[in-house]
Amino acid sequence: MKIYTGGGDRGKTSLFSGERIAKSHDRVEAYGDIDELCSILGAVAASLGGKYPKVEAEIHRIQSDLMKVGALLSTSPDAPAFAELEKIEESSVRTLEANMDRMDADLPPLRGFILPGGDMSAAWAHIARTVCRRAERHVIALVDSFADRGHGSDYWKVLAYMNRLSDYLFVLARYCNHLSDRSDILWKP
Amino acid sequence: MNSESIREYATELLGRKNLSEDACELRFSFPAGFSFTPGQFVRFESHGLKRDYSITTAPNDKGIELCVRDTGTGHFSSVLASAEIGTEFRFSGPHGYFVYRPSTRPVVFVATGTGVAPFVSMTRSGISGYIFLHGVKHTPDLYYENLFRNAARIYVPCVSRSSDDAESDLFQGKVTDYLGTVLERRPYDFYLCGKREMIRDVTFLVDDYFPGARIYTEVFY
Repeated sequence: MKIYTGGGDRGKTSLFSGERIAKSHDRVEAYGDIDELCSILGAVAASLGGKYPKVEAEIHRIQSDLMKVGALLSTSPDAPAFAELEKIEESSVRTLEANMDRMDADLPPLRGFILPGGDMSAAWAHIARTVCRRAERHVIALVDSFADRGHGSDYWKVLAYMNRLSDYLFVLARYCNHLSDRSDILWKP
Repeated sequence: MNSESIREYATELLGRKNLSEDACELRFSFPAGFSFTPGQFVRFESHGLKRDYSITTAPNDKGIELCVRDTGTGHFSSVLASAEIGTEFRFSGPHGYFVYRPSTRPVVFVATGTGVAPFVSMTRSGISGYIFLHGVKHTPDLYYENLFRNAARIYVPCVSRSSDDAESDLFQGKVTDYLGTVLERRPYDFYLCGKREMIRDVTFLVDDYFPGARIYTEVFY
């Protein structure tokens, strides 16, 4: 099957659920952020250079979760296609928490604000964290527009996941520096 | 209907039936363990060539049928169209999300050429009551016409090249001409399958004339 049709050449796109919407719509902003985040996580994994397969596997699992989030965001909650989707479950949030706690246990205590950077993998993880927060903001805008229509619970789970993932990515950034024997770069105002 | 269920299967060519001068329907054995939703496709691979084909049979059929058009330029279609009965092939599947999604809206199927394939499977699976716009260049290319005439609420054969058949209900023109000038303007669920140019042009018409409609698409060639 071919990829392109040109149907988006006039500034509209088709949702997975079939509706045509402007590419500047909040929904497109939201799943665009998820796409960006997923891609940046690819850069985090790639920059680990194959030395830490467990961390890379964890990142790939998160990317897989984000594919589900992206599909959910690109589907109108009122449409028949919504029922077909694999949704994010609370267990995914618990997994993030467990893995975050495990990494955090290996890190020195945080002594203040840190500057994003250090090893390349850590720098990418910080970028991922900020894009994750932007995605979260766009999802909130969507939830605000339809939470009263009965589809809120799936979106609340997405919001919980995004909130926890941002925290996870902060810890991951520090952990990447730790793996490469680099210290946190402390902010000295 | 998720990616975890995609696997590779072996299948055997069981039969061939001509649909027109350059198109035929090929029947294959139904591999054990394989399942699909009407509208999905399989990916054939042989001698380093890959090609996707929508299944035209219903999921509970004992075999799998594909609609193949051998234009002489599609290498794999030529291999399939000329293969001996009994030849073994491999395919992966099921692929794709072009499936029927019941809703309260009227449904319009739009197909050109062998893009009818997913709609054949849907119809053979019991889906009916739709409006069908069947776009072809010449009347002999209206594959599965009787199947669609029986199942559709409105069947519109859109023939773009001139036809002498003045008695018929042919619409002289492209599917886009029909959509732009005849079809009542309502928020339909559109299902489009065929050439990318048709899909693009219909999409623009829907944007302009059918606000609030849904569009599901499968690009064939």
